[in-house]
Amino acid sequence: MILLCGSQPDYDAMAGKPGSGQPAWTSADFAALGTFMEAFNRELAESGELVETRGLTAPAYARRIRLQDGAPVITDGPYAESEEVLAGYWIVDCASLDRATQIAARLTEAPGPDARERAVVDVRPVAESRDELEP
Amino acid sequence: MPTPAAEDLLRALAPQVLAALVRRYGHFDLAEDAVQEALLAGATQWPHDGVPDHPRAWLITVAARRLTDLLRAEQARRHREQTAAALMPAGDWITPGDDARRLDDADDTLILLFLCCHPALSPASQIALTLRAVGGLSTGEIARAFLVPEATMTRRITRAKQAIADSGAPFAPPTASERGPRLAAVRHVLYLIFTEGYAATAGLGLLRPDLCAEAIRLTRLLHRLLPNETETAGLLALMLLTDARRPARTGPHGELIPMAEQDRSRWDPAAISEGVALITATLRRRQPGPFQLQAAIAAVHDEAASAETTDWPQILALYELLREASDNPVIALNHAVATAMVDGPRAGLQLLDQLADDTRVATGYRFHAVRAQLLEMACEPAAARVAYLKAARHTASLPHQRYLHARADRLTPTPVDRRTDCN
Repeated sequence: MILLCGSQPDYDAMAGKPGSGQPAWTSADFAALGTFMEAFNRELAESGELVETRGLTAPAYARRIRLQDGAPVITDGPYAESEEVLAGYWIVDCASLDRATQIAARLTEAPGPDARERAVVDVRPVAESRDELEP
Repeated sequence: MPTPAAEDLLRALAPQVLAALVRRYGHFDLAEDAVQEALLAGATQWPHDGVPDHPRAWLITVAARRLTDLLRAEQARRHREQTAAALMPAGDWITPGDDARRLDDADDTLILLFLCCHPALSPASQIALTLRAVGGLSTGEIARAFLVPEATMTRRITRAKQAIADSGAPFAPPTASERGPRLAAVRHVLYLIFTEGYAATAGLGLLRPDLCAEAIRLTRLLHRLLPNETETAGLLALMLLTDARRPARTGPHGELIPMAEQDRSRWDPAAISEGVALITATLRRRQPGPFQLQAAIAAVHDEAASAETTDWPQILALYELLREASDNPVIALNHAVATAMVDGPRAGLQLLDQLADDTRVATGYRFHAVRAQLLEMACEPAAARVAYLKAARHTASLPHQRYLHARADRLTPTPVDRRTDCN
């Protein structure tokens, strides 16, 4: 599983929100990222390695549920403003962890203002069987 | 990849082949799977081997063979050996030539549409099953169009077919008394497919099939089968007149452009003239309905040379008729915009205030976007800016957020106010 992370200010910049601290993305920036992602996804689909990919909406829309004094309590927008959280993921079915890492590394080439320096991509192997989870 | 012509042919034949199979063998759910596999076989083999002389018969033969396999597997699973003997072996299936083609293909397609839009199914299931069984789209394509994982869409379609089996609905047209509501349900499903396609804008690299084109193709089919249904004609005209504006709806980088600012030379004149001719002929029959009224409104917009020369009084009159016929929140918002264009922004804002208690309207981003637009017209840039930003918070769609933020940004106060039209 390949996990791409981002923070609320990253989303705000991408959404062109005025005065969001970072330079707002222009239409051309946004379109260039779309073109990159489309080509990236198409290549993975064509090589048969793509199982599933989804992008997540901004952290502001997240809800957190926690047990407090025995009752579940819901918090809207639970993340700190600058907290890097999951922004999107890919599940790939490929030959090795090294191949998955190679795919993930390409995401650092995604275009966008500041995107190269800021991009954080993690690779997490999915447990394949009960044996990997149980003693 | 199949050629576009081969693919069009396969998709057009899909409902006929499915209906032929269901008539012969029953088992709608397995027959539907078998037809999907036959379509796939056609899509992979025809580009190499050429399209067979009798493509429909070819597909029926392949699908029937596959259905026989599926039924055998199913029956083995259920240990019901006594019924297996009743199955005809695939080799005994005599392929009808195209000259033996039954005249009731049209009725068959119609029955399939009624079945896929059966009231026992949820709207999401009706849409998915219609696109697969009548539209001939694969589960993967439908899943991509609705942005859900393929496994989710597979389960949705399986559940839909199970619900049809459980309902005991026969493969037959609805009774005379049921026919009207069932036909309205079919039109509603086609409309939802279209609006889903129209709402899909350039996002972050989404490979979405063109649902607008598919909705138009299926509505055209329904209109051809039942040409005297005025609301079906109205729906087709509405789709054509709306889709005609699509080339101008987004800019070079996929950004949204509101109708007032669109380059009207990029509207599709062929779609406009077809839609206008269709709605004009249909309205003459004097059986108006919500789709015809919406098509009439779209026609007024499409025929105007510019936003300024649009016949707003006529649009307002049509919206007033429409509000009597339909309690739809989007129509209520558009009615407020039309009122503002005729009687001024204050009159439109007053109508919006009356809608503020309707949670269906007031919780959507559109309500705040319309309010922002009318406040801007009323020369209240600060309030308009706040409303645009509020609208952006009420949508999770990045393209819509980008549009609303850009509008808000234009209204950001500057030391020397450069806007002069609000003095």
